[in-house]
Amino acid sequence: MKTLEGWLVSLLFAGTAIAGVVYGSGIRMPELASRHGAGIDAMLAYLLVTVGGLFLAGYLALAYFIWRGVRRAEIGPRFATRKTEILLSGALGLGMAVIAEGGVLAIGMPVWQEYFAAATPADAITIDVTAQQFMWNVRYPGPDGRFGRTDPRLVDDSSNPLGLVPDDPAGKDDVVTLNEIAVVVNRPVRIQLRSKDVIHSFFLPNFRVKQDAVPGMTPEVVFVPTRTGEFEIACAELCGLAHYRMRGFFHVLTAEQFENWLRLQSAAAGGR
Amino acid sequence: MSTHVLGGPPRSPHNVGPAPVEHEPGFIRRYVFSTDHKIIGIQYILTGLVMAIAGAALATLIRLQLGWPEHHWLWLSRLLPVGMPSGVMTPEFYLAVVTMHGTIMVFFFVSFVLVSGFGNYLVPLQVGARDMAFPFLNMLSYWIALLSAVTMLASFLVEGGAAAAGWTAYPPLSAVAAAVPGSQMGQTVWLLSMALFIASFTMSGLNIVATVFSVRAPGLSMMRLPLTVWSYFIASILGLLAFPPLTAAAVMLLLDRHFGTSFFLPSGLIIANKVLPNTGGSPLLWQHLFWFLGHPEVYVLILPALGIACDILPAFTRKPVFGYRISVWCLVAVGCLSMIVWGHHMFVSGMSPFSGEYFSLVTLTITVPMTIFGVNMLASLWGAKLQLTTAMLFSLGVIALFGSGGLGGLFLGNATADMQLHDTYFVVGHFHMMIGGVTLLATFGAIYFWFPKMFGRMMNETLGKLHFWFTFAPFFLIFFMQHFLGLQGAPRRYYAFTAFDYLQKTRGQNLVISIAAMVLISGQFLFLVNFVWSLFRGHRAAANPWHATTLEWTVASPPPHGNFDAVPVVQRWAYEYGVQTIDGDFAVQTVPSVSA
Amino acid sequence: MNALADDITLREDQMRLGLWMFLATVTMLFAAFTSAYIVRRSGSDWRHVALPPILWLNTLVLGASSVTLEIASRAGLERRWRAAGGGFAAALVLGFGFLAGQIGAWRQMVAEGVYLPSSPHSSFFYMMTGAHALHVVAALAVLLWSAAATWSAGRDVRAWDAQVGLCRTFWHYLGGVWVFLFALVSLY
Repeated sequence: MKTLEGWLVSLLFAGTAIAGVVYGSGIRMPELASRHGAGIDAMLAYLLVTVGGLFLAGYLALAYFIWRGVRRAEIGPRFATRKTEILLSGALGLGMAVIAEGGVLAIGMPVWQEYFAAATPADAITIDVTAQQFMWNVRYPGPDGRFGRTDPRLVDDSSNPLGLVPDDPAGKDDVVTLNEIAVVVNRPVRIQLRSKDVIHSFFLPNFRVKQDAVPGMTPEVVFVPTRTGEFEIACAELCGLAHYRMRGFFHVLTAEQFENWLRLQSAAAGGR
Repeated sequence: MSTHVLGGPPRSPHNVGPAPVEHEPGFIRRYVFSTDHKIIGIQYILTGLVMAIAGAALATLIRLQLGWPEHHWLWLSRLLPVGMPSGVMTPEFYLAVVTMHGTIMVFFFVSFVLVSGFGNYLVPLQVGARDMAFPFLNMLSYWIALLSAVTMLASFLVEGGAAAAGWTAYPPLSAVAAAVPGSQMGQTVWLLSMALFIASFTMSGLNIVATVFSVRAPGLSMMRLPLTVWSYFIASILGLLAFPPLTAAAVMLLLDRHFGTSFFLPSGLIIANKVLPNTGGSPLLWQHLFWFLGHPEVYVLILPALGIACDILPAFTRKPVFGYRISVWCLVAVGCLSMIVWGHHMFVSGMSPFSGEYFSLVTLTITVPMTIFGVNMLASLWGAKLQLTTAMLFSLGVIALFGSGGLGGLFLGNATADMQLHDTYFVVGHFHMMIGGVTLLATFGAIYFWFPKMFGRMMNETLGKLHFWFTFAPFFLIFFMQHFLGLQGAPRRYYAFTAFDYLQKTRGQNLVISIAAMVLISGQFLFLVNFVWSLFRGHRAAANPWHATTLEWTVASPPPHGNFDAVPVVQRWAYEYGVQTIDGDFAVQTVPSVSA
Repeated sequence: MNALADDITLREDQMRLGLWMFLATVTMLFAAFTSAYIVRRSGSDWRHVALPPILWLNTLVLGASSVTLEIASRAGLERRWRAAGGGFAAALVLGFGFLAGQIGAWRQMVAEGVYLPSSPHSSFFYMMTGAHALHVVAALAVLLWSAAATWSAGRDVRAWDAQVGLCRTFWHYLGGVWVFLFALVSLY
């Protein structure tokens, strides 16, 4: 009975780990669509392989110890010496530090620094995204390349959600959309994030882009989309009742398609 | 009722010196308003278990919603007419349920049962003391804790319902009443409850630290203490130092909410079509203050779990724990490191990228002591003669979940990886495995192990083992899968995944998780039945049914008021297994050492 | 071996340890307020409000109460109970005087139209001095307890020594916190 139990418990841990690895190997992340995203995926792949290996090894060791321990009538003759304890702990601790920190230093930090520290390329499309409960207000600067001023006191959710100042010439050619962003494939995108009310988070799963939109701050993200297609924008910071359906659309187009799109959007908005 | 939790006449309330006999106090002073640490410990445990039932009920609601998003649960609409009209949960109720599930489980279940409950019960016994250093303060801490729990539950009944901004309560969502219904009075009641909780926890923490420092029995040096005591000692110091910034933040949030200040609220906020008059505040300030507590808090919860597992393991391997001294240093190291890594919760918050690098590199150093500690637990099984009692099964589960959950930390502490995983189900899977899994299994292990000592009766082993099987397997399945939901991009705190194309394929996985959750929660009835039944009908327990070495096993089950007849004199360290003495293959700490 | 004396020594040690840990917690609270203050200070809308001069008087009063408390405890340790009793009375009066002065300061500010939300500086001022005042209320209770023990004829001398040690530590600590807070809100 005791050995049966031992088998069952052993198999529980061994089976759990094997099933886990099998399940995990079948899971795919959202299709990659950005340049820096390859770096993030490399970081994740490294971690999945190393951690997956450690996980499997650990659980199999646990299963083995259980299987073996249940069979023993007496404890093993040798007790661990202080030296063994120190060596084993030291070796494994060091090994883990190498795996964890090594991964960060070799793969992670370069990606992080490149993402944040690199100067914004000159040909980047700049887009102003103002999050609110529960939609994404999107604004392009228009031909003059400048955004018009906004004033919270002028905000009207139906007619002027951004609170654009009507007399500001820079704002006259701004193109405003709701929940729709289009960009050009292989051309850098620079998104300035703002929020009107609470913290939201601009999440593009396919592009490995996530940045909190914090009221009172204007954080930026810069990235390069590398495949055309239709993608979704999700909110990744609890923002209230409709947080789960704060959905936007991110279109990656050819240059020509983009120009058409932009023209359509500004025509739809009508003159102001 | 033939169960009893205190044997014998009461003894001197002083922690040292002779024990004059006093007249027997009545039932109320013995079992209700008692200053006896054992009664207070049991009070915390029982209160925590009741709160766990509330927390589990909330979890059931969450999984019903996520597993079957369009289903009408008509029988629930009768129980919860406001939250689930015609059987479908409203988003506002869902957010309140999520917020309160987290708050209740972290503070009112794990902290109550594992940290305050078992901490109060075990620490004086294991250091050979008659009681805690400050017994009256201890009693006060329990009643304030109970008040905080009742207050938190009462928040469901106020206008707008319970707080709904997540247990993390980020402003402006938590600061402005119109931002979400729970931010009306619910959030205020939440803050008041937390203030009471922190006061109670501070009193408890002071007691544990003072007791370990100053009331240890003669011969009990720090390096002879059980790892349980070490873990409570460090966890208490952490709590004392880490909670005050949350107190400060809570005061500031209350002022922002009700007195027009702008600690966290910037200018130009437009909520419910009104421009708010606030200026200049920083939402990030809340995050820094909250996580300054929030990160050490999870170590406050998990350290006792690990310490307890290290006490239970050797009793059923009949060998000492592997690497005791090193494990002690690991606990100290983790305690210290945990105070300087809070920013890993804020990698995409708008915090400077340079801070992100710092927090990432330092966070990952925690892998070193935690790996060593985990390996020490695993290595304790080497050469062991295993007895698979229920307590042992749960302790093995602790090792397993600590390993898999801890490895998830390598992803989240890595700033680059976290860019994709922040605020997704990867985080939910990780923290549930750690502060839901490791702590839950350790709690059960502790109950099965020390129930005989506390109540003088044995729990039923068959039911206990069934309970383990019904707990470990579904628990692992649920939270392992959630890591992968996160990798697939599923964000946290979503009422449903039905609004996004890219999340449609998670539907099947969510269904599987919800079914497993129902199995998990049903399995807990095995435990409740066992617990209650054994209180009245369990076999009588001897003083040392597990042949364990620490001091609590030298006194009767249950111990009398005042614990020890004479102050024990400690001659050995805490894990003297594998030696031959007249008692068998172990030596209790008070047995004289052969080598002088 | 004098078991009772050992008992009291242990008690003293425990109370002292408990107090120091409590003070560590209180320090963390004010450290949190201070770091929030420093962060907020760099904001563009920071407006320093004029603080009422009575605060200087309050500082002197609090300092004087610490001095009289020191004199009282020295006297008590030398068993000069009348002097000690007098010193405690003075410390109490000055302590309550400090609180009254703080309330006076807040009322003066309100009269000038400077309220809690008027500017970040005023928000922090009210909040931090309010938190400090709450702790002073607790410390006054401790002071009263020690004073009562000093005035009563049947005092337990050894217990008194321990008690007054705690009382002094707590009181001087809060005096130190006040000086720090006052400097912070005035100068920075």
